[in-house]
Amino acid sequence: MTHSKGPILALFYCQNTPESSEKERQALEEKYGKSLRLFPIPCSGRLDLLHFLRALEEFADAAYLITCPEGACRYFEGNRRAKKRVERTRLIIESIGLEKDRVGLVVRSREDRRPLAELAEEVVDLTSKLGPSSVHKKAA
Amino acid sequence: MITAEQKPIDEIREMIAPYKKLLVLGCGSCVAECAAGGEKETGALASILRMANKMEERDVLIEEKTLDRQCVRDFVIELDDIIGQYDAVVSLGCGAGVQAVADMFPEIPIIPALDTEFLGETREQGLWVENCLGCGDCMLYFFGGVCPLARCSKQLLNGPCGGSMDGKCEVNPDVPCAWQVIIDRLSSFGALERLEWVYPPKDWNKKQGKGPRKIIREDQQK
Amino acid sequence: MKEVSNLKKVLEEGNFAVTGECGPPKGADPEAVLKKAELLKDKVDAINVTDNQTAIVRMSSLAACSLLRSAGVDPVLQVVVRDRNRIALQSDILGASAVGIRNVLCLSGDHQGFGNQPQAMGVFDLDSIQFVNVVKNMRDEGIILGGESLSSPPELFIGAAANPFADPLPFRVVRLAKKINAGADFIQTQCVYNLDRFEEWMKMARDRGLTDKAFLLGGVTPLKSPGMAKYMNNQVAGMDVPDEIIKRMEGVPKKKQQEEGIQICVETIQRLKEMPGVKGVHIMAIEWEEVVGEIVEKAGLMPRPSTAQ
Repeated sequence: MTHSKGPILALFYCQNTPESSEKERQALEEKYGKSLRLFPIPCSGRLDLLHFLRALEEFADAAYLITCPEGACRYFEGNRRAKKRVERTRLIIESIGLEKDRVGLVVRSREDRRPLAELAEEVVDLTSKLGPSSVHKKAA
Repeated sequence: MITAEQKPIDEIREMIAPYKKLLVLGCGSCVAECAAGGEKETGALASILRMANKMEERDVLIEEKTLDRQCVRDFVIELDDIIGQYDAVVSLGCGAGVQAVADMFPEIPIIPALDTEFLGETREQGLWVENCLGCGDCMLYFFGGVCPLARCSKQLLNGPCGGSMDGKCEVNPDVPCAWQVIIDRLSSFGALERLEWVYPPKDWNKKQGKGPRKIIREDQQK
Repeated sequence: MKEVSNLKKVLEEGNFAVTGECGPPKGADPEAVLKKAELLKDKVDAINVTDNQTAIVRMSSLAACSLLRSAGVDPVLQVVVRDRNRIALQSDILGASAVGIRNVLCLSGDHQGFGNQPQAMGVFDLDSIQFVNVVKNMRDEGIILGGESLSSPPELFIGAAANPFADPLPFRVVRLAKKINAGADFIQTQCVYNLDRFEEWMKMARDRGLTDKAFLLGGVTPLKSPGMAKYMNNQVAGMDVPDEIIKRMEGVPKKKQQEEGIQICVETIQRLKEMPGVKGVHIMAIEWEEVVGEIVEKAGLMPRPSTAQ
């Protein structure tokens, strides 16, 4: 088990992400333990601000979304809408003094056939640098 | 519908600062339609307020609920059983909703989270535009369904003015010249001659004459 | 009442009229108004005084006109509907007549957002056309809006503005007709640079018989620089400055630009003199009043009829 004392990332991802089936998800959660919570969604366009905010409020130090490449959304505009909502969420958290980068987006490129596991590692690395969120002031 | 936008978070936080038990109250009608105060926005506001308090280690109870409408007593009365638990309510209703709740529960501060703006339509997804002033004397027939009071920056009844250029209003190039729209609309109906008549001054009495207005319908009363 | 409208007299006697313009100061000093009057007196038949133009707070037009009147000038009181409701507007009309003002120009006014008081409420209780009609009824029927009688009617020559260059072009003449039918005795247009387009508009006005019902004065403004020409064309709503005019201004050395601007203005006036239906010219030399005399002289319009007597 690695990263069990580190920051917790809530990672939302479109079910079209390569190698992101239930089996792969469980394997990843086992690997990262408490540090990573994975949330599959049928399309990134279904993500609401509220999902990010609740995650950040309740347990997450960072909340990210993986979307399909531009133009490759099965539902046409889902990923574009997701991008705008992520941007709005970043502004909202910034307005209360929380770092914008605790919320973000990974847009896969067309050539990028990397599986969920690799993408997850990338985001974990990115967000662990942020440290714990001041929303979760843990008793020493 | 009535449109509104959420106040800046700092302004809301300043108003609610003295209170320890808050109900964040949404409305499922107009403000939900313009994505300012519906169930989702209410949840988001409650969440962000809780997060801000946690960051400052302030222990404040913040719960949320959304009514179908805040401007109708029959819905507001649903709060009767629970409102006693809170020392203030943050309402995401429009001005009418905030006041209806405040009138029903005058002992509890009802704090507005929104700035109410205008009567208008959803022109396209994510775009709302003003189109009615509530003047009490609708003249839309004469102007082909385009209101010169709400949509002309100078409320001209005998427009356009000299500032109409390329179909845009001189005041704001994002605003179409209402009179251009009226002229085009009436032309398409073959009714342009309606504009040759000099429309007399508006009777503002129907809007302001007796102070804040009311409508009474005895056939609708209990 | 001894005072008469000189402008009305000049026009009714069949002369080509010349009117000027002056903006009141952003202060309370009457001298500022009287100095401008000195520059224009005898060069023009009447002087327009603007009313909080561009929604910038200035000495009231009514007060400035009253000063001009006592200096022996025939003022044209400009009144915008942006700042006053119908009660104040009718009241000012009575007041204007009482202090000897005999000409009024009824306008909408630039929106309050443009000026130095953008938080102000824009009144617009009447529009400019309704206002023309109100003044006409006060003068001819001796009544205010609603029909109540006045103890004595005002005496005023009523004017309205017209913009031949703002869209939509086919409707502009309908609006002109509305203003004249509402009671406008004279019309002053926005300043003209595109004479071909102006000619088109004049033709439409003539065809509708409007030039027989009201005295039409074409507006002119001398250009000071190519920058001014370009600014007016691009930034001022309802203004059309053709490329050839801009090129003319750009084509002369800097110290000759003002001269060229004056020359263009004189040529415009000469063309207006020839145009059937145009009964005069309204010279708006904004903050350049000293040049009006030269323009009137070069356009062959001196001496003015009142001074010739």
